[in-house]
Amino acid sequence: MKLPLTLAWRYLRGRGSRSLLTTLAVVFGVMLTFGLNGILPAMVEAFNHNLLSAAGRVDLTVTSAFNQPFRADVVDRMLAVPQVASASPGVQRIVPLPRSADAPPDALAQLVVVGIDLTTVGSVHDFPLAAGRMLTAGDNAAVVLNSDLAGQLALGVGDQLVLPAAGGTARFRVIGLLSSVTVPGQEQVYLTLPAAQQLFGLGARITLVEAAFTAGADRTATEQAVATALGPDYQVGGLSSQSTLLASLQTATFAFNMFGLFALATAGFIIANSFRTVVAERRRDIGMLRAVGTRRRTVIGMFLVESLIQGVIGTALGLVAGWGLAAGLFAVMAPIFENVMHFHVPSPLFSASTWITSILLGVGVTVVAAILPARAAGQVTPLEAMRPQLGGVYERRVGRRAWIGVGTVVASLFGLTTGSSSLVGLGAVVFLVGIALVAPAVVNPISNWAARPLELFFSREGAIARSNLQRNPGRSAITVTAVMLGLASIVAMISIVTSIFVGFTNYLDKSLSADYLLIPQSIVLGQGNVAAGPRLAEDLRSIPGIAAVSTLRITQAKSDGGDVQVIGVDPASYLKVAAFDWNSGSSDAAVAQLGTGRWLIANGVYAAQHRLVVGQAVLLDTPNGPRTYHLGGVGNDYLNAKLSTLYASQDNLQRDFNVTTDMLLMANRTAGADPDATKARVDRVVAGYPAFRLYESSSWRAEQMRTFSQTIVIFDVLVAALALPSLLALVNTLAISVLTRTREIGMLRAVGATRRQIRRMVVAESLLLSVIGTVFGAVAGLWLGYALVAAMSAAGWQMPYSFPWSGLLATVVVGITFGVLAAIGPARSAARLDVVAALHQE
Amino acid sequence: MTTTTASIVEISGLTKVYGSGAAEVRALDDVDLLVPEGQFVTVMGPSGCGKSTLLNLLGGLDTPTAGTISINGTPLGDLPDDQLTELRRRRIGFVFQFFNLIPVLNAVENASLPLRLDGNGEANARATAWLDRVGLGDRLNNRPDQLSGGQQQRVAIARALSTEPALVLADEPTGNLDSKSAGEIGGLLRQVSTDWGRSVLMVTHDPRIASFAQRLVLMRDGRIVDDLMLDGTNEGPRVALERAGLL
Repeated sequence: MKLPLTLAWRYLRGRGSRSLLTTLAVVFGVMLTFGLNGILPAMVEAFNHNLLSAAGRVDLTVTSAFNQPFRADVVDRMLAVPQVASASPGVQRIVPLPRSADAPPDALAQLVVVGIDLTTVGSVHDFPLAAGRMLTAGDNAAVVLNSDLAGQLALGVGDQLVLPAAGGTARFRVIGLLSSVTVPGQEQVYLTLPAAQQLFGLGARITLVEAAFTAGADRTATEQAVATALGPDYQVGGLSSQSTLLASLQTATFAFNMFGLFALATAGFIIANSFRTVVAERRRDIGMLRAVGTRRRTVIGMFLVESLIQGVIGTALGLVAGWGLAAGLFAVMAPIFENVMHFHVPSPLFSASTWITSILLGVGVTVVAAILPARAAGQVTPLEAMRPQLGGVYERRVGRRAWIGVGTVVASLFGLTTGSSSLVGLGAVVFLVGIALVAPAVVNPISNWAARPLELFFSREGAIARSNLQRNPGRSAITVTAVMLGLASIVAMISIVTSIFVGFTNYLDKSLSADYLLIPQSIVLGQGNVAAGPRLAEDLRSIPGIAAVSTLRITQAKSDGGDVQVIGVDPASYLKVAAFDWNSGSSDAAVAQLGTGRWLIANGVYAAQHRLVVGQAVLLDTPNGPRTYHLGGVGNDYLNAKLSTLYASQDNLQRDFNVTTDMLLMANRTAGADPDATKARVDRVVAGYPAFRLYESSSWRAEQMRTFSQTIVIFDVLVAALALPSLLALVNTLAISVLTRTREIGMLRAVGATRRQIRRMVVAESLLLSVIGTVFGAVAGLWLGYALVAAMSAAGWQMPYSFPWSGLLATVVVGITFGVLAAIGPARSAARLDVVAALHQE
Repeated sequence: MTTTTASIVEISGLTKVYGSGAAEVRALDDVDLLVPEGQFVTVMGPSGCGKSTLLNLLGGLDTPTAGTISINGTPLGDLPDDQLTELRRRRIGFVFQFFNLIPVLNAVENASLPLRLDGNGEANARATAWLDRVGLGDRLNNRPDQLSGGQQQRVAIARALSTEPALVLADEPTGNLDSKSAGEIGGLLRQVSTDWGRSVLMVTHDPRIASFAQRLVLMRDGRIVDDLMLDGTNEGPRVALERAGLL
C-alpha cells in the first residue's frame, strides 16, 4: 500500500470512536440527500406504472390530451402509419367500489374497468383463461377478471359484480377467470367495448387506443409519426398528464434537498473540526515527517486521503441508510397514499443522478472540509519535531472573516426576500454560511452573557467551562454553527408545516361552508372518477329541508403548453354553499362574472405560474378548438389548493369541453330543518349512487384533518433525522475538548478537583455550547421558515405565516437535551482519567 | 582544522540572528566547522549557546542569516523547499530527543518511512536489516507503545540510517532515557560512525554520552570556544568543560 494511504488508514483506525463519530455525520448527510431523493422518482414511476398498461404487447398508447372520450376513427388514422401493425380501441375508467362501514382499511377501494374490442385486442393483450369462458360479442352484462383479484373480491364464476354507473349502478356476471397476475393499482375487470361505453355513457366514443408496432420498427420515430398523424388533441405515449401533481412533488423535493444539504453542511463542519484537532495533535508527527524528507504536498495529501477514506466509507453507509430511510418513509406513507389518492407506491427508486449527486456530495463535502486543516498541516515546519508539544492554546484572527460574514448575511437577505424558490434556497444556504463566518467573532461575547445563568447551577465549574470554550473560539464557533444548522432546520421545517396546516384549516373553513358534500371516493385523479348526471342534483334539490344545491364539474385543458384542471361552477348557486379564499384585488363579484361570458377564476398556483393579472386574456385549447377567456379573479379553494386550477361557468364547460356531469355536489339545509331527518332523506337519495360518499361538512373536515395529521408523522421522522447530526457535532467537540486537555484535567485533579467536579465542568461546557447553538438556530430557523413560507406563497400556495411556538419549544428542549446527552461520554472519560498518567502525557 | 579525507559538513561564517533591535539574539555568530567522513562529533555547551540552532541549520530545517553550509558537497544556500526536503530524505538522518515515531506504525514501518517516501521498492527489507543491526530483529512488528524508550530510540536510529545517509544529526538522543539505555544508545551511535562509516553530529548535555564521540566541539554564546579530539575515556569531556569554565 502507498505510504499516505497506509498512514491515513492507520490514523483513522487509531482514532477509533472519534473516526466513527465524524463518519456518522457523513452517513447522516448522505442518508438524507439520497433517501429523500429516492422518493420523488418512485412516485413518478408509480404514476406511470399505475396509469400505463402493465402487461401485454402494447408499444404505444393514445389518449385524449384533454382527457375526454374521442371518436373511434382515430384507430384508422393510426393504422395509416406504416410501422403500426395493429391498434385496438378501448375504454378505461377507474371506478370506486362502494365501501362498507366495517371494511378493513386496506380493502380494495377501486377497480379499473376496461372495455376491450374483442376483434382487435388479441394483437396487444393475452387473456389466458383459468376458469369459465372468455367474453364473446353480445356479452353485454358479463365481466372477466384475474383469479387473484376475484379472490380478493370474493367472487367466483357466476357471481355478480355491482359497479357504479352514470345513472346509478349496473350489475355484471363473472363469466371467466384469467390466470394472469394483478399488478397492485391495476385491479382490472374486462367488459366488451359496447358494454363499457354504455356503462360510462360514452355512446360510440372510446378513451384510449393501444397499438403494437411491426417487428424492428424504430420506436421513437414511430411514436413521432403517430403523434404527427393525430395532431395536438391526442397524447401519444404514457398517460403523463398529471404534471401539476408532479410540480407539487417537485416543490417537496426542493425542500428535501435543502434539508439534505443542511445535514451535509453540518457533517462538513464536524469533519473540519475533527481534522483541525487532528492536525494540532499530530504537529510533532508531521514535523518529524517533514524532517525526514516528506514534501509539503505529501503531508497535505495524507490528510486528504484520510478524509477521502472517511468520505467513501461514510457515503457507502449513508447510501444504505438512505435506502432504509426512503423505504421507512414509504412504509409510513403508503397507507395514506392508497387511502387518499388510490395510488400504489411500490418502493423507493433511485435515479442515476441521485446516486451521482449523493456520492459526489458525500465524498466531496468530506474532502473539502479537510482542505483547510490539511493545508495547515502542510505548513507545519520540521522544527516542530524538535520542540516539546505546546499546550492546546491557540487563538484565531476572526476580524476580517466576521465582516465578510456580516456582508454575506446581508447579501443573502436579498435572495431570501425575492420570492423565487430557487433564490430562496440559495439565499438560505448563503445565509447560513454567513452566520457560520460571523460565529467565531461573537461566540466569546455571547458565552460571557450565556454563562451567567449557567453559573447559578454550576457555581464552581461554570467559569472554567466558559474559559475552556472561549480559548478556542474557532472550534467552539464551528460546533455552534453545526448545532445551529440542525436546530434551524427544525424550526424552519416546523414553521412551514404549521403554516401549511393553518392555511389548509382556513381553506377548509372558508371553502367548504356547505352542510353536505357528495364526493366521489377518489378525488384526485379526476379522469378516473365516475361523475353523476344532472338527476342527482335535481333529486337533492327536491328533498324537503335542503335549501341550496350547487355542483362542481371537472375537465382538463391545455394552456401555455401545460395541462390545467378546469372546474365548472354554477355562478348562480355556488356562493350559497361555498366560497373562495380571494387573493387581494379579487372578490365574490368574479363568480357572478363567470356567467356573463368566457370569464375565468384562476387559483393562486396557476396565476403565479403564468403571471396572470385580472382582466388578462387566457387562451385555452379545448376539445372544440382554441378559446379565449379573460381572468376575472384569483382565488383558492381547499380541494385544489395544490393543483393548477381554473374555474369557469358550467355553461362554458358544456359549450367548449362537452362536459355536463357533476363531480362534486354541495348542499345546505334550510334554517330550522331537522338535521337527522334531512340527513336520512339525503342518505336515501345517495344510496343509488355508490360512487359517491355523503359527508356532513363537520365529519369531512375531521377526516381531512386526520389525514393531514398522519402526514405530519413523516415530518416528525424527518425532523429527528435533521437534528441528529448536531448531536454528533456536540459529542465530537466535547470529546476533542477533553482529549486535548488531558494534562490540564490531570492537573485539576491533582490540585483537588473531584471527579464529580470534572464531570460537571464538561457538562457545563456542553450546555453552554448547545445553548448558544440553540439561540443561533432558533433565530436563523425563524427567519428561514418565514422566507420559505413567503416563497411558497409567492409560488401560489397562499398560506398565512404562522409563528412556530411548538417548534421553538421543541428546539429548546432538543438543544438542552442534546447538550446533556453529548456530555455523557466525554464527561465520564474525563472524570476517569488516571491523574499520574494524565500529568505525564505529552 | 584541516583534514585529509573529504568533508561531509562544511560550514563557513555561519550566523543566525533572531529578533531585531533591543530584542536581537545572536544564536550563532560567525561559526566555521568541517566534519570529515565517518567522524562522530559531539557538540556541548550551556542552554542557549546555539547548539540546537546549529543542528537545525545543518538539517536544513531553518535558514541562516549569513554564512554558508554545504552537506556532502551540496550547498544548502538557496535550495527550494522540495529540493531541501529531498536532500534531508536522502543524505541526512535525524535522531530526536522524543524519538518521534509515528504511533500508528510498527517498527519496520517507522524505520522504512524515508525509503517509502522515496518510493524505494526494498524499503521493508532494508529497514528490517537495519533494525537487525541495531538489535531489534525480534521486535519488528511492535508499535512504539509496545517498545521501551531505548528500543524506540533504536528504531529512530534505524530510520535515520535506512537511507544510507552521509550525515546523522542527533539532538539530545539520550535526554529522555535512563542511564543504562543512554549508554547503549551512545555506543550505538559510535558504531554508526566507526563500523558503518557515517558522520554523526550529536548535541548532548551529558558528558558521559559525549565521551562516546571522537571529537568534542564546545560552544558558548553562539561561538565555538573549544574543539578537541577525545580519547574514549569518560574524563575527556569533563576536563574540556572545566577548562572552558562550563562545568
